[in-house]
Amino acid sequence: MTSAFKKMICRFLAIALITLPFQTGQASMIGTDQVNAAASVQLDRNLVSSYLSRAQTVNEFQVLGLNAQDAIDRVAAMTDDEVSTLAGKISAVPAGGDGLIALILVVFFIWYFAFRR
Amino acid sequence: MPDLLAWYGCARLTAGAFSLLAVLGGCASLVPQTMGLRDVWPAGVAVRTELTAVPFFAQQEYQCGPAALATTLVHAGAQVTPEDLVKRVYLPGREGSLQIEMLAAPRRYSKVSYRLAPAFDDLLREVAAGNPVIVLQDIGIGPVTSWHYAVVVGFDYPAGELYLRSGETERLAIPFTIFEYTWKRGNYWAMVTMPPDRLAATATEPDYLAAIAAMDRVGEARAAIVAYSTFLGRWPDNVAAGIGLANRHYALGELREAETLLRHVFARHPDSVAVANNLAQILSDLGRNEEALELIDWAAQPDMSPFAASVGETRAMILQRMGRDK
Repeated sequence: MTSAFKKMICRFLAIALITLPFQTGQASMIGTDQVNAAASVQLDRNLVSSYLSRAQTVNEFQVLGLNAQDAIDRVAAMTDDEVSTLAGKISAVPAGGDGLIALILVVFFIWYFAFRR
Repeated sequence: MPDLLAWYGCARLTAGAFSLLAVLGGCASLVPQTMGLRDVWPAGVAVRTELTAVPFFAQQEYQCGPAALATTLVHAGAQVTPEDLVKRVYLPGREGSLQIEMLAAPRRYSKVSYRLAPAFDDLLREVAAGNPVIVLQDIGIGPVTSWHYAVVVGFDYPAGELYLRSGETERLAIPFTIFEYTWKRGNYWAMVTMPPDRLAATATEPDYLAAIAAMDRVGEARAAIVAYSTFLGRWPDNVAAGIGLANRHYALGELREAETLLRHVFARHPDSVAVANNLAQILSDLGRNEEALELIDWAAQPDMSPFAASVGETRAMILQRMGRDK
């Protein structure tokens, strides 16, 4: 087993531990999410794919400069839908960051004079 | 100043291109929603309003995400600074913040983040209701994209302007047309961060419940209870919200409250297997196993139910507690 593979497995397990819906030992309370989901088979399949997506997203976050704990915390705050939307696409989706107000002013003036007079 | 000259040349070129586009395609296709507002202004919304009490945090380099989020979170009552939010939403490798993280982070502060429908009407309605709105704009020119988060805090339709907390500008006045042009390129993405005791003005039942359930994952239990209760005040017949509220009380060990709530939900929805299962679990925890068994036997009847596995577990547990095998 390569160490990279071991690392991947460790990360996966860490995520699974953190994000698995916690069981209190005896209780089998049904949650809001489950009530909204259609069938339990589908639900199980979603759970598995969600864990994989979470592990993948944590990895990608670390590659993009986050430390492990922050990456895990941030992924934990996402819903399953959000994680599966994001997984594998982090480099493609918009990342708001620019404060280049100069640009907006240029466009502002163009529009102002082109359309408001 | 070669830069300025270049800008000037670029600006002239862009202006020419814009005019041409406008002539060819007409304004309607460039800013369709602004044109729509001209025909129909959203009912019940004042034509001018400004939320002057919304704080302002000047953004550090590339960090408009944390600054915008701090603006609405502090307004919603959270004690947080843009610096705190950098580790929650800023992504160094992208020099920016992702939309999904902007939605996820407020949950850590027990606020309900709600994505708005991609419509000017909804944006205006939220601002008019007192809720500052975070928007994603593309402030690039032509083929250059430059994503930016800002917070809409007001508008004056007769003057044709919206007011934004943006970047290093505390009060940026921007025409409706140009705002729509920058906003449209991000598919009219907008969100609000609501305190748990208030609903977003444009909340819809399924979407807002999902927003609360998402906050329930990582927010404080008390805040989740308040959020579910607020939701049920508006949509009292929602089974899933009733279950969520009862589960929160249950997790805090408040079994009586959970029982009372679920009985109330069960009375309205006597065919809900999920409610019966959870109620049986609570009754058994309260030591009323006979009552619990009766309920879970009823719940086990239709084995078509997607909750058959949970019901089976609950039933087995009740029987075990009663010292019976079957």
